[in-house]
Amino acid sequence: MKTFSQRKLLAATLFLCVGLGVLTPAAFSQKKKAPAEAVPPPVNEEFKFGKVDLELLDQVDLLDRRFERDGLVLEGEATNAYLERIGNSLVPKGLTLEHVKWKFRALRDPQPNAFALPNGSIYVTTGLMSLLENESQLASVLAHELTHVMRRHTYLQNRSNRRKFLTMNIMAAVGAYAPGGVVGAVITIVTTIAPFIVTATIYGYSRDLEREADLKGIDMMISAEYPPEEMVKVMKLLNKDIEGEEIRLFYNDHPALQERINYLSSYLGARADKITPQMELNRETAAYFHGMEPVMRHDIQLSISAGRFRSAVYLAQRLVDFHADSENVFCLAEAYRTLGPRSPQLTEGESTNSAKKEAAKKREKRTVEEEERELLAKPAGQENSKAHQQKAEELYLRALSVGEPEPVAHRGLGMLYEKLSRTNDAISEYEKYVELAPMAVDHERIQKRIEALRRPPQ
Amino acid sequence: MTLRSSNDKSRRFRTLSLTGLVLFGAAISPLAARGQFLHPKISKKETTIRNVVIMPAKVEVVRDSMKGPEGMAAESEDLSARVEKMVGEVMSKQKHITTLSAPAPSSAEGNSQAKYNVADFQTKFNDLLPKIMKKRSDVKKGRFTMGDEVLNLNLDKSADAIIFIRGQGQKLTSGKKTFQVLVGGMPAYLKLMIGIVDARNGEVLLYTDPILVGDPTTAVDRLRKALEKGFKKLPAGS
Repeated sequence: MKTFSQRKLLAATLFLCVGLGVLTPAAFSQKKKAPAEAVPPPVNEEFKFGKVDLELLDQVDLLDRRFERDGLVLEGEATNAYLERIGNSLVPKGLTLEHVKWKFRALRDPQPNAFALPNGSIYVTTGLMSLLENESQLASVLAHELTHVMRRHTYLQNRSNRRKFLTMNIMAAVGAYAPGGVVGAVITIVTTIAPFIVTATIYGYSRDLEREADLKGIDMMISAEYPPEEMVKVMKLLNKDIEGEEIRLFYNDHPALQERINYLSSYLGARADKITPQMELNRETAAYFHGMEPVMRHDIQLSISAGRFRSAVYLAQRLVDFHADSENVFCLAEAYRTLGPRSPQLTEGESTNSAKKEAAKKREKRTVEEEERELLAKPAGQENSKAHQQKAEELYLRALSVGEPEPVAHRGLGMLYEKLSRTNDAISEYEKYVELAPMAVDHERIQKRIEALRRPPQ
Repeated sequence: MTLRSSNDKSRRFRTLSLTGLVLFGAAISPLAARGQFLHPKISKKETTIRNVVIMPAKVEVVRDSMKGPEGMAAESEDLSARVEKMVGEVMSKQKHITTLSAPAPSSAEGNSQAKYNVADFQTKFNDLLPKIMKKRSDVKKGRFTMGDEVLNLNLDKSADAIIFIRGQGQKLTSGKKTFQVLVGGMPAYLKLMIGIVDARNGEVLLYTDPILVGDPTTAVDRLRKALEKGFKKLPAGS
């Protein structure tokens, strides 16, 4: 019988092996350098469907429907069309695969991740789309995921897991990592439908399969005229630890990133030198940001709701640096207001592995309000809170003064003033908001706040 | 010294035996309702719940086989619907509490924002749930709240509370059952985690986690009894 710590260790090992969904750093640890000729053909032609595979297919079809029904899929026509365009440009022309129907969707989830279901549905989270810098990087993610489908990795991993009995311990692994937020909802659903997919598609496949997906992904990028070295840049971006999450422990403990970059760079070789004008175009950040603005704004709100305040500030600042219109400035103001007494970046003390472990434990126990109270009891927290409130106020006022002002900035100011006990100012801002946005979904909520503020203290 | 030590050993043995017996009893008992924790507003009857909205239940079950757990997507959906319906029936028959229609995502077709609102609120409860489960008794201190964002759901004006239902369970294959007879392990079970939240300010008014031992997909009567026990302390609506 395994003890709790053994189970944690097992979970840790699993993570170490499979890493983070899209481009798992576990694959970095491949010791051998893969020669280019070792890469198999794009499609696994020997694969034959068995009963177990067809059962799995039924389950993942249901999974697709649940994502849609439960409001986890972003219903943005432009975003979906954009993903479809990039995805379809990567799929080899004329390719048809049994039981595969390509579908590319954005998942409303602030945790940067992507995964492919064996039926051809490829999901990229809004968290990852917001973190990337250009279309080529998004293409590298899709190319990697496409390979998992084309090479039938999910089925192969399923068969292998069943043989190895590994799935017996998957629940323990999932239990050990309870990320919360929307990602929690996704994982809960996936766990039920096909438990092993949690480790395979969400956290990553085995090293060999991830490596195969990396290398085949590069070939697909070149064929579709995307600069392949952007895949390496994605890995570096994914390694950013904005939130100080425990999952990063596995990266920090593992000297894998450099190895993965090495084998990819070696595979890239002369391939990276042939830059076409189309490749240059695909590398343009401005075009990507322009298309992604609504997704990024949506993701900032999701990040705030999920308590990923530092990510919200980071993404909103990038967005404002790109285009400082009223909506984007409002997002940054919201990010600073909700950041409260926390520091905008991880402090030195918060960056150590033990501090991250401790923070993860606390996150499981404390509510956001309790965390804020604890931070506000310290001078550093008070200083941060004051600075962020000032910054938020400036930004809300700026949002109200540029272009077409967003009425929600009045609501934000109202919330800020209410927290600062500036009752009359808060009422005034709330009133402006309900007047300017009478059909807003939170109309009743703000009306109630006005009534409560007007009520004489008892 | 020796005598004392022997007494200690004997006492420890008795304690262990008793604990083992209680645990065994709990494990084989067909159903067991665990704690119910009420917010002071409910226990002191400052607030009365007359009308509730039940959010779509999320009950997930897996089939535990010799080759590990397998998904039961369709069965989980059926069970979720059954639990949701049964909670409504228990509320109505035992507590005289009326169930109002929920802002189901499917009814908000074509309206993404409404769908997202419901999804995000369900997620918010998912976030809060582990914290409640860590210290369930703190519900009695009024420690947990989902905030006034509940008002964004724009529910029926007469709604007093919102019910969130989560559940997890497992069914065993015959191979696994035989295996467990020989070596032991978790039986088939269903554990529900139900929170009742004030529809006006988001405070968690009640938390209960009834559990039943048995096949979660077929044990209908046990489920009803577990739910009735689970809401035993909740005062009636009228």
